[in-house]
Order: sequence, then structure tokens, then C-alpha cells
Amino acid sequence: MTKEDKHETTRRNFVQKIIAGAGVSTVAAATYGLSSKATTPDASERRAKQYAMLIDTRKCIGCHTCSVACKAEFDVPLGVTRSWVEYTEKGTYPNVSRNFLPRLCNHCRHPQCVDVCPTGATYKREQDGIVVVDSGQCIGCKYCIQACPYDARFLNPVTGVADKCDFCIHRVSKGLVPSCVNSCIGGARIFGDISDPTSEISRLVETNPVTVLRPGKGTEPQVYYIGADHSDEHENKRGWYDVRVTTHRKEKGRR
Amino acid sequence: MVDRRNFLKLSVASAGSSLLPVHTALAENEEVLKQGGEGYSHLSGNKLEALPSICGQCPSRCAILGYLDDGRLVKIEGQPSSIRNQGTICAKGQTGASKIYDPDRILHPLMRTGERGAGEWKQISWDEALTELADRLKKLRDDGTPEKFVFHHGWISASAEKLIDDIFLATYGTASIIKQTCQQQSARWSAHELTWGANIDNWDIDNTKFILNFGSNVLEAHTNFVSLAKRLAVSAVDNRLKMVTFDVRLSNTAANSDLWLPVKPGTDLAVVLAMCNVVMTEDLYLGRGEEFMDFCLVNDNATATRSDKIATLKNHLTDYTPEWAEEISGVTAQQIRDVAREFATTKPACVISSRGAAAHYNGVETERAIQMLCAITGNIDIPGGRCRAVAPAWIYPTGPEDKPEARKLAFIDTDHDVALPEFGAGHKVLSRIKTGEERPGVYMWYHHNPAYANANTQDMINILKDETLLPYTVAVTPFYDETAALADLILPDATYLERYDIEDAVSPNQIPEYALRQPLVVPQGETRDFKDVCLELAERMGMPLGFKSADKFIEKVCKLTPVVKKQARGFRGLKKRGVWHDEKAAPVYNAYRREVPEETLAVDGVILDQKTGVYWNWMVAGAESETEALEAGYSDIPGASTGYVGQKIGDAIYEGFAPGKLNKSGHFELYSPILAAKGLPALPTYVAIPGHSEMKGDELILTTFKLNVHVLSNTGNGGWLNEIHHDNPVWINPVTASEREISEGDAITIKSRIGEVTATAMVTPTLAPGVVAVSAHLGRWEGGRYASGKRAPFAVDDIRHDEYQWWQAGGTSANWIIPDNPEPVSGQQSWMDTIVTVIKTNIQKEQ
Repeated sequence: MTKEDKHETTRRNFVQKIIAGAGVSTVAAATYGLSSKATTPDASERRAKQYAMLIDTRKCIGCHTCSVACKAEFDVPLGVTRSWVEYTEKGTYPNVSRNFLPRLCNHCRHPQCVDVCPTGATYKREQDGIVVVDSGQCIGCKYCIQACPYDARFLNPVTGVADKCDFCIHRVSKGLVPSCVNSCIGGARIFGDISDPTSEISRLVETNPVTVLRPGKGTEPQVYYIGADHSDEHENKRGWYDVRVTTHRKEKGRR
Repeated sequence: MVDRRNFLKLSVASAGSSLLPVHTALAENEEVLKQGGEGYSHLSGNKLEALPSICGQCPSRCAILGYLDDGRLVKIEGQPSSIRNQGTICAKGQTGASKIYDPDRILHPLMRTGERGAGEWKQISWDEALTELADRLKKLRDDGTPEKFVFHHGWISASAEKLIDDIFLATYGTASIIKQTCQQQSARWSAHELTWGANIDNWDIDNTKFILNFGSNVLEAHTNFVSLAKRLAVSAVDNRLKMVTFDVRLSNTAANSDLWLPVKPGTDLAVVLAMCNVVMTEDLYLGRGEEFMDFCLVNDNATATRSDKIATLKNHLTDYTPEWAEEISGVTAQQIRDVAREFATTKPACVISSRGAAAHYNGVETERAIQMLCAITGNIDIPGGRCRAVAPAWIYPTGPEDKPEARKLAFIDTDHDVALPEFGAGHKVLSRIKTGEERPGVYMWYHHNPAYANANTQDMINILKDETLLPYTVAVTPFYDETAALADLILPDATYLERYDIEDAVSPNQIPEYALRQPLVVPQGETRDFKDVCLELAERMGMPLGFKSADKFIEKVCKLTPVVKKQARGFRGLKKRGVWHDEKAAPVYNAYRREVPEETLAVDGVILDQKTGVYWNWMVAGAESETEALEAGYSDIPGASTGYVGQKIGDAIYEGFAPGKLNKSGHFELYSPILAAKGLPALPTYVAIPGHSEMKGDELILTTFKLNVHVLSNTGNGGWLNEIHHDNPVWINPVTASEREISEGDAITIKSRIGEVTATAMVTPTLAPGVVAVSAHLGRWEGGRYASGKRAPFAVDDIRHDEYQWWQAGGTSANWIIPDNPEPVSGQQSWMDTIVTVIKTNIQKEQ
């Protein structure tokens, strides 16, 4: 099994990459469109900030440090997860691979969870694009949990309301990166404002082939990946090769 | 099919070319978020108090920052100023607080009230506990048998080892101390003692270009885990560092390598020797490797010429061809040649290794052969190579001057099956008590869980339970683990987050980092740091050690160590920083090439040993007289290595590869006169695993592995860790499984010559055929609710987690069926050599 093989992807994945690539160039064009107009400081202030994350899975060693750092940051109860890592194994001995896919809320540009929330508890913050849940407004109806194409949401058993990753607002608002970014052993996670074309994340998204999860959903996820293996156990049905996706979450299924 | 494959490959290859290394330069007006070093409450938004300390979950000893919310430790992160772990720690480190607040923690001294092992206890006061213990210890001492106090410990801090082993126990008069710091690594360390001399190995990953990995799962578990894994993960992308991994299993390290080559268990040695053969026959040693030969001992002539040495090696390796190795290992001759050539021609490069290669019957030979491969390619102690570890030079007080001559029970390091038992036969001590005649009066263990961690579990339990073998046993531990459950007395220890310690872990960047552990919270309940308990025991026995408390001892160490006192602002300075290194210090390489100054050679007692070329001081080494020293010679006088001064090579005298515990020369000893004297092969030689070549068709080899969220049995109380790994199905290749009609999820029975265990099968192409593999963390039967599903005596409810624990603690421990099987040189347990049969459990029942 060589590294070239590791990046060899399925046709589905290849198509995903093309779509994602297209998606990214749209975003890049949009941001450049804004920045070209940004000739005065006032103009740049009007630009809508969008926090985003880029995960370079080539530097991910699957160590679960991010998952546990998140648990500790928020004292997340057993059984639910804001942040987790999936293992994707595929191939036939000895040509097999294992890739790691760190997961969290995608903070989509078009979040479906927001669309279905009956109380407005879930909303996308105008100032930074972070998708949040106002626990005071949430009635625990679980619509958003069903609506999320990424299984990123859960009902917090302690509070009884919907919960998920919030990009560590309490840290970011104090000038710190999110906990999973800070704790990542391989430095695989880059966090920043993707609407700022000069930010590190913008430059990396622009200069690397990146993908997002389930681009066909039209959600425009704001978590981007380099080198991610998007294979899925559904592919086993086609008989090409064996795929095994492992998650340590209580809910083993994957949408 | 082929066309589509190629098309994809092409498209990926073109994509690959634009997979650029990460830009690090920042734009001028970019909002910069800090990585860490501060923490805020997610509930209140309040800033949390941050205190630096040192992790103690595993031997890596990473620098940490603990965050406190109103006095409670809520979060642990990496310490950004550390040059070792550089601001990050692993999942285990993140869960440290679950040790402090473990609802199953032992909070008071416990005395057993029922049969040994029956789980019946009463809480007693420290005064009662220490009165009882001090009386017993005093009696042993007054009877003239202090050596009957046997103290057995696992990994402990550098300062605990000094204060407890070298001061407390030495002043008491016992040297019956077993340092089982080497459960998994002593074969490698013994090989290093034989080749390098005193050394813990290290690799300069920041500067290397190629890594050849034999059986190390460094991206999941290592004695220097985060510091190495971080550098590897980053270099693999930013520096295009290439890694080739030989392993029977696709570990995460193998998965992240550029090439995974499965190898039959126990045959890495054949592959390494064949690579050495390729290097020598294809003249790939020319250049650096050839130059390094000057510092190597290759035959029994210490003054052999370069060409003699090369001829000797070529001759020795002649028959170890890649074709020969292919037959044995299953790795093709072509693959061996290709990898050997790439390794030998990429400079600098290093070989890393661990238990996959060395936890076998031929472990020491394998590691010696690996050192030979590094040596003949000139990758020893250079930037980007395999380096002499650089650790801080702490200076410790030595305690009372009038220490008795400490004695030890003979079974501690006498083992007729093992050539060099002083390095790693600790796991055999309990069985040696059974077979020998001496009985410890008090057997005490600390940071150690032999009932779970050693092989042959049932035998361990039987011995620990047997009051005729072990009349009185004491466990020093914060947790009710499998071995504590078999003690007569349990002394509740402080966790690593509740005490002071000095640490001296290795820096992968070859610059020493000084580290101070300090309490982040006060010890819970009545738990006490065992260092303090030792000081009190000494007082009670009328032998005060001269330190009021453990922290005063640590303070004294900081005072005695000049750089810490002057540059790091001593104890107080380290309390603020946690770690300190000299910013002006340059990385240390090639230390062996330093010449010994003339004045050092002119010191009284320094003589030249003609045979080895070693300059040594017979007075320092404690020899009788100069005449005796010259006549008997350096190699044959016990303890002569303590007087080592330098090594004569050509006309110069170098610091060389200074010896540790063995009387080796200052050469890099590829040829070991020490092994030769014991009738063992002097140059690394192929040794087959006994029994493996005669295996029957239905037999398999059992291998165990560690993964990234547990440290053997040490982290079983981390709820967040068990949530990730609480079930360990046994890995089996689809071909091997189908031969036995085993499918995914089937109940299986694994049988060895000493017993059987039941498990669940996981059918996976990520393991070589002919093998079964199981993780070495589960199948616990004590250790609290998260580890075993069973509460400890006097446990309390966990209001945060009890309601939400969604898994059943379970899994399989393979140690029940792994027989006690010491490697013949070091005595390390050969974890990976067990021959087993595997059948579907219901089939067995039908029969």
C-alpha cells in the first residue's frame, strides 16, 4: 500500500472532488469579488466574517486527542459527541489503507438545521457565521437533529436541548483558536476567517485541492478537508472492495 | 478496470503535485488567534487559572498546563513553551482529571479483613497503617535481614526513583528493588547497552529524510509519544519525510506510512540482516558508513583496520541474502533490496523500532542488527539520524551519609535462563519467588499492576494470593486495580496531578529540557504522595532522611542543579514555567567524537587496558590495586565500567560510546565480547523463534498491540477514553478466518498451551494471515466501573457520568494465555511469540 494508493479515490469521491473544487472556486471568486471592492477600510469592515476550518488529513494520526479535548472543554456527557474521528479502512490484503476523518459541525453557509428550527433557537451568527443553539429558546423538538445531513447534532442529556460544536465561541471570542485546533498533535487543523482572502485558511483552501462533506446537499460546509477519504460503507454493495468505517460514537450509523 | 484505475491515478497524481506544504507566513492584517496558553470557562466565560506541570499518564512525561475553575481541575492542555511536546498532549493526557476525581478512587488506607483477594476491607488511619508497616520493616532490619523488604515498581518519576530507591531504601539497607520500567522495551535497551553503552535511543525526526520502521507504533504509543508523533506527522507533509513500516498489522503508524510491508511475526531480524547484506555487497556503506567503521568493534581485535572490519562484516553477512530472508519473513527479496537501497542512499535516515520487532525471543539480536544497519550506513548520532538521547543533568542530594551496605535477595537478579537479567527480567521475579527458596518479608509494589500487566495471569494471581510465598503484601496506588485487590494493605497514593516531582525525559531535538511537576490540586481525601510517606516511615524507624517533605527534597534538587538555580530561577522559577531549556543551547550530536583532554588522562588511577583500548580509572572503579587492574583487565573486573574515561582509536582518545552497566569498551560494539563470553553469537546473528517453524496447519501466532487512547491498564478510569475503546475484538485476516469458518462478530476461542480465552472476531484485511491480534488494554476485572464495570470498595456515585455510561466494560486480555517466555539475553517477556489455535466457539461446543 503506497501513499499514491492512499490518495486514489473512488469514482464517487472523484466526482465529489470535482464538485467541491467547483464549490471552492465559487467561494474564492466571491471573496475576491468582495476584496477587490474593498479599497477602503470601511468596505473591508462590511465584509461578512465567516469562520471556517481546514483539516489536512495527511497530518491526522487518528489519535482522538481532538475528540477528548472537546469533551473536556465542554464537559460533554458520555454518549454524545461534538467532535469525533472516523476511521475508514478499505482494500484487500495487503493493499489496504486506513484514513482518518475528523468530524464536527460544518457551520454551513446554508444550514438546514436553521431552516427547520421552529423557535429560532438555532441560527447563524451574522458577525462570524458560526451556527449556534440558544439553549433558552430550544424546545428539544429534535427537528434540527433530523435535518442535519452530517449527524453533527444531538440532544444533550443533561440540558435536554439540542447541542453541537460551536467552534468554541468562548475561546474564539477571547482570541484563542478552538480547542480541537489547539490540541491537534499533527497541527492538521487551520482555523480562521475564510471571507478574508489574506487569511491563512483562505490561502490554503485556494492553493490546495480541498473537499467538503456531501457537497450535493447544497449546504456549503465551512469545514474543508485536504486529502480526505470520503469512502463509505455503501460502496461495499458495488463489490469494488471492502470499506469499513469505524466511529467510536454511541450512534454507529453514518448518514 | 485498469483504465479507470490509471485515469484516477493520473488525476490524483496531478492533484498531488499541488498538495503544497502549508504556508506559514501571515498576511499583515490577518486576525491572529492564539493557539493556547489560556483557558476560559465555557459556562461563565471567566478566565481559568492556569498552572504548569508535567503529565504522568505514560512514560513520555509531556509538559502540561492545568486549568482550574474555582479550585477544580477542569482541563489539561499541552504547555506551549515546551520544546519537547510543543504545546500538545494526547487523549490520555487530556483526561488526567478523571484520575483525581475517579469515583472508584481509594481515598483512605485499607486493611484487608477477609481472605486475601476476597475484596473485604476496612478503612484505617494513616497512623494505624504506618505503625503496622514500620513495625514489620523494623523487625526485618533488626533481625539483620533488611533485604527481605522487596520493593517493586513500574515507571516512576526521576525524583521518586532517587528519593525512594537511592535514599529511603538504601538508608534502610535493602537493595531488593525491581525497577520494572521495561515491561515492553528491555530487549531494545539491553541491545543499546551492548552497542551504544549507556543510552536511551532517540531519533532526530526534524532533520531526517527517511524513516525505516520495524514494529514501532510511534503514532499511537511510545515512551516519548507526543514529541515524536508530532514531528513525524508534521514532517511527513511539510518535509516530505518518507516512512516505510514493517509490521504484522496495519497500525495507525503503518497506515500513515508511505509503504506498509507485512512481515511474519518474529522474522524482522531476517529482513534487517538481509538489508545489511545488501548494503555491504552493493558497497552502499561507502562514505559515511565506511568512516564510521573506525568507531566500531567488529571482531575481537580492537585495533583492526577499516578494511579488516569491512571484510569481517561482508563475510558474516554473506549468507543473509534477500532471497534467504524472503523464505523466512514473507517479504519479497525485491522489496527488501528496494527498501535497503533507498534507505542506504537517502541521507540522513533513521531506523525506529519497538516491540513489534523486539518483543520476541530474538529481540536483542533484532535490535543489535538494527543498530548494525544504522552503523554501516553512517546514521549514528548525526543530525537526522539515530541519536544519543539528550536529557537534563539534574543533581540530586544523596541523603544520610552513613548508609549500610545494601543487600538484596538473590532471586532479584539471578536468572539462569537469562544472560543479562539486570536489565529487564522484572516480570519474572514473582515466578522466581515461587521456584526459589527465599521469601520476602514484605513485598510492596508501587506504580505497578503485575496481576494484569504480566504474562500468565493465573500464575501471577496464584503467587500474589499465596501467603506462604508472600507473607505480607502492600500496594501503593491511587486505584483499586487487579493487583491492589490482592494486597494485605493498600496505601492510597497521590496521583501525578497532586504532587511534586522532577522529570528528565528525552528531547527529540537534542537539547535538554528541565521539568518540574507540581500539584494542580491538593490530594483528594486522605491520599498522600508516597515520597512523603517514605519520609515519615524513615522517621518512625529512627532513620530520618534529612528532608521535611517531598517538596523540600525537590527544592533542594533545584538548588543543587547549577543551570536550574542560576538560569531557570530555581524551584520558584520552575513552578511558574513548568519546563525550562537554555535558549542558547545547540543540539548535541556526535558526542562520541569529542577527544578526552590530556589532564583527564593524567588523573591518578587512569590506566590503559591494552586489549580493549579503554582508558579507565581503577581507583574510581574500586579495583584492589593497579597491578590487579592491569592483570585482570578492564573487561573482567566487576564494575570497571564505572571508571571508564575514554577509548583509544588510532592515535587519539575519544569519549566514545561510554558504557552503562556493562564493561563494554568505548567502541560502538557490533561485535560484543560480553555476549561472546557468555557463549552467545558476538555479531548479530539470525535466531529463529523456537517452535514457529514447526507450527501445524491450524496454528496461528498471537500478537498484542497498544493503541492511542490507553496506557496498558493505567488509564482504565478515564471515562472519555473507555468510551472510545471499550471493546477489543480480535483481529483476524479474511483468509485465516474463512479457513476456520469464522465471520465478523463470531464468538471465538483462542487456545494456547497454558489456557484459553473467549473473544469476538473482527475479520479485517489490515492484518497478515496466520496471525491473530488483540489490544493490550481491556479484559479488566478490577480498576473501577469504567475499566471493569465493577465498583471498587468504598466507591461513590459519579453524578456526572453514571447515568450516561452506555457501554459494558469488557473485552479480552490475552495475558491469560501468553506463557512466561523470557528473551534469552535480556529476559524481556516475548509477548509476540505465542502459538495458538482459534476456533469458532459454537463449533467447539458441538464437539
